[in-house]
Amino acid sequence: MTALLTLEHVSKRFGGLRAVNDVSLSITEGEVLFIVGPNGAGKTTLFNLITGFLPPDEGVIRFAGRSLAGSPPHQAARLGIGRTFQIVKPLRNLTVLENVMLGAFLHTRDRAEAGARAREVLEFLQMGAVIAQPAAGLPLATLKRLEIARALATRPRLILLDEVVAGLPTTEALALAGLLQRLPEWGVSAVAGVEHVMQVVMKVAHRVVVLDRGALIAEGAPADVVRRPEVIEAYLGAKYKQVTG
Amino acid sequence: MTRRRALLAAAGFGLCLLVPLFQGDYHVHVMFHVALFAALGLAWNLVGGFAGQLSLGHAAFFGIGAYALPLYHDKLGIPLPLTLVLLIVTAVAAAAVIGRVAFRLRGPYFALATIAFAEVLRLSAKNLDNLTGGDVGLQVPALFGPTAPIQAFYISAVLLTAAAFTTTALIVRSRFGYQLQAVREDEDTARACGIDAARVKLHAFMISAAFTAVGGALYMSQIASVVPDSAFAIDLSERPAIDAMLGGAGTLSGPIVGAILIETAQELFKNWFHEAFQLIYGVLFVLVVLFLPEGIVGTIARWRRKQRAS
Repeated sequence: MTALLTLEHVSKRFGGLRAVNDVSLSITEGEVLFIVGPNGAGKTTLFNLITGFLPPDEGVIRFAGRSLAGSPPHQAARLGIGRTFQIVKPLRNLTVLENVMLGAFLHTRDRAEAGARAREVLEFLQMGAVIAQPAAGLPLATLKRLEIARALATRPRLILLDEVVAGLPTTEALALAGLLQRLPEWGVSAVAGVEHVMQVVMKVAHRVVVLDRGALIAEGAPADVVRRPEVIEAYLGAKYKQVTG
Repeated sequence: MTRRRALLAAAGFGLCLLVPLFQGDYHVHVMFHVALFAALGLAWNLVGGFAGQLSLGHAAFFGIGAYALPLYHDKLGIPLPLTLVLLIVTAVAAAAVIGRVAFRLRGPYFALATIAFAEVLRLSAKNLDNLTGGDVGLQVPALFGPTAPIQAFYISAVLLTAAAFTTTALIVRSRFGYQLQAVREDEDTARACGIDAARVKLHAFMISAAFTAVGGALYMSQIASVVPDSAFAIDLSERPAIDAMLGGAGTLSGPIVGAILIETAQELFKNWFHEAFQLIYGVLFVLVVLFLPEGIVGTIARWRRKQRAS
């Protein structure tokens, strides 16, 4: 198994705050990796570093053997890294279909072809009913799916899902998790998710890494990682460490 | 755009070309202004409407077109057809330079930067006496011969509008058009889709500059002389923007509708209310921004969509 994405000693500071502190990790092809951690742990910052929305202060990021240093976001997308936004960013005045077509336009100039690709993706995500509606005014659950659809339409090799199930009712979250498990059918080699909803993480992830205050504190199989004392401490505080650990 | 609507548009432009047969010089003169500002509004709309970048400095390109005509033709002796080509090339090159700097800024700061560039050009034209004649200005060559009637200018303006309209229609239906709108709606999302937002905006700016410069040349050739305060007037940056916004920024026909309403209204108000027309004009504009933010065409389109949905 070759590493699709590798991070070596990546750091990012915002003033005095170390948002991402000396993080090294890799994602192999076909792997579903979840990055979890409490609020403010640096998960979204890590995604912004990988996709070029932020430049790292230190460290090397490689994708498919190529250094991503200093490349802008559109370059990351062209290389095959799709992403969603935690705070949904739909193209409000465009329809759902047009939103997804914009992803598909990465690989074709042809409107009909982009439309066909967008329809396929929307069908897969069970959004066929809202295809012609403008994105403005759609409920959050639908907008979260729209984020995934748009990213998927760019035919990514790696898709970064930033809290796509957060804020959804449990049944909806689990239904979406079921779809996420099928992403490899779309040629998506690896999925890196940032999630708080542990039920989804346990169901979908092959491997989990835990981030706390910008640093990587644990890594391993999902069922294994959640029992580690340092992870429990990070989430619940030191008081609970002895009780459960 | 459907085939039917394309034919409708072609018929509309065709009818406009017939107008001079039935109208006197005064009316044709007013309509020359309408057509010219419709073209300028359409050009502005590519940047301000579809790409959502509020340029308030399009006078820069208008003035470049106006000055390039006498400079290339009279001073350098270049024949008129080639002058027109060079004039477009100059405006596009200027847009590339201005855009590269101004698009580093977003929102109101971008708007301010565009105003600043237009002002820099105006002050340069005032002070480079040897080249531009300073405040005295230059004679502008007659594009259609020394005794050409207003009708020739009117027809040229209609053709320019038709060209800008067709260009817009083609862009709207292309990948480029979608990309422009994506940049307007959310730049981060656009970039996550692999769109080079800076490049897309710059290309729209350059196309827009080309049409605006031709408009400037046409306008000043009709007046036959050009001075810095008329060629680079801030009014020339604002009016196409206001026309497009009243009609509907980011809609295909909005700028034409806006130009017809505003430019004819302005002519009428000028005759009826004299100086007070500026006030009425200002109040009207505030009302539109407050109550019709999507413009006339935009509001109608939304209203029809709603009706179809229910």
